Amino acid sequence: MAVDVMAAPVEHSRRRVLRWLGMPLLLAVVGISLYAYVSTQELDTIERRVLNAPGLTDRVIEHLQLAGLSTLVVIAIAVPLGILATRRGARFVAPVVLILGNLGQAIPSLGLITLVVLLAGVGFKSIVFGLVAYSALPILRNTMVGLQQVDQTLVKSARGMGMSAWQTLTRVELPLAVPVILAGVRTALIINIGTATLSTFFGVQALGYVIFQGIQLDRTPVLIVGAVMASGLALLVDYLAGVVEELLTPRGL
Amino acid sequence: MDFYEYLVDNAEPLSQEALDHIVVVGISVGIALVLGCALGVLAHRSPRLRPPILAVSATLLTIPSLALFAMFIPLLGLGTPPAVVALVLYALLPIVRNTVVGLGSVDQSVLRAARGMGMGSWRRFLRIELPLAWPVVLTGVRVSTQVVVGIAAIAALVNGPGLGNEIFRGLRSLGSPFALNLVLGGTLGIVVVALLFDAFFIALRRLTTARGIR
Repeated sequence: MAVDVMAAPVEHSRRRVLRWLGMPLLLAVVGISLYAYVSTQELDTIERRVLNAPGLTDRVIEHLQLAGLSTLVVIAIAVPLGILATRRGARFVAPVVLILGNLGQAIPSLGLITLVVLLAGVGFKSIVFGLVAYSALPILRNTMVGLQQVDQTLVKSARGMGMSAWQTLTRVELPLAVPVILAGVRTALIINIGTATLSTFFGVQALGYVIFQGIQLDRTPVLIVGAVMASGLALLVDYLAGVVEELLTPRGL
Repeated sequence: MDFYEYLVDNAEPLSQEALDHIVVVGISVGIALVLGCALGVLAHRSPRLRPPILAVSATLLTIPSLALFAMFIPLLGLGTPPAVVALVLYALLPIVRNTVVGLGSVDQSVLRAARGMGMGSWRRFLRIELPLAWPVVLTGVRVSTQVVVGIAAIAALVNGPGLGNEIFRGLRSLGSPFALNLVLGGTLGIVVVALLFDAFFIALRRLTTARGIR
């Protein structure tokens, strides 16, 4: 037993280091191997038209703009809605929202975005609109669940101490719900990064453009660069979101 | 042409594509069930392997679907094979996680009692652990299926089978009057397939849950 007690913290800290350094290391290795692989290939003119540093940088920027903007819009819409749905007097809304949301999950991302684009036209704004519609559920659901699981005795004692409903919400309920809400935001962000690859079919050239050019032109290097870059970007953003999640969680939780 | 007319005129190709969709999802989830259960049992038995197994299956779900489909084209070509491989990888996490949770929630005293009755480890697993964990595992399979039904739409982009082709045809004819019917047909078809799978799992759960824990 004594040995276990001694060994446990070491094991623990090693695992923590692995958790925080593992993903950046993996991404660095993947990035370097990708660069090495492309450098050994003799690129023809078609491949060079897609695979050049300024072009690829633009693809990444477009991708991040799409995912970032739509996630911000989703947060601005879904968090207040989730708060409203859990207020007294509107509680009957919550189960309806959850059932509708679960049904909505069955709608495929590709179909939903195509429908939005059909109705709103091709372009950046419509895609953001489609992404918002597709990724609203996790944040909405987590905001509601996060607020609902706050211990009601805490809410009552806050009110008893003389806090107004608004103060109770901002100083007791929301801070306690933050971890769950942040988990929802992270899920929505990853959904948006993934779904933003489909934007190439609707006139925005994010990383999905590189992948699809690779498929259509039958150029393996292009395809691999696109797929690996899109995956790497998603993993990197997920990792950073995890770090932010940890930093934003109120101390004491 | 309104949507209803379109559905009636195209009932045959649409139902064929729906059938293809169901088959490709069924095959993928079936493979993922076997693989995911095996990985879940491994993760349950070995605390050392548990974090890497869960981390890798979570990472797979983070990768954008179009990228994952595309990655297997150089190895497997276009069509059904890269679609099935990518869908299996997407379906793993919920099944693995729920297998670990399900097996972990089996009461240790029940296992000790089984051992006391003289059951070997293999029989204990098949007759006690698996039946008790099964409802949780099945919930994981159901979640996986919902995820995979939607992602399978994107398989059309790598020439995979299913209703995604309908959406993709509509997407290619954006601006033409047929586009809406095509996209709506494919999208609603996929929703119907998802609901059918859900109904199937509700029935399966009733049929396959051990009588004692129903």
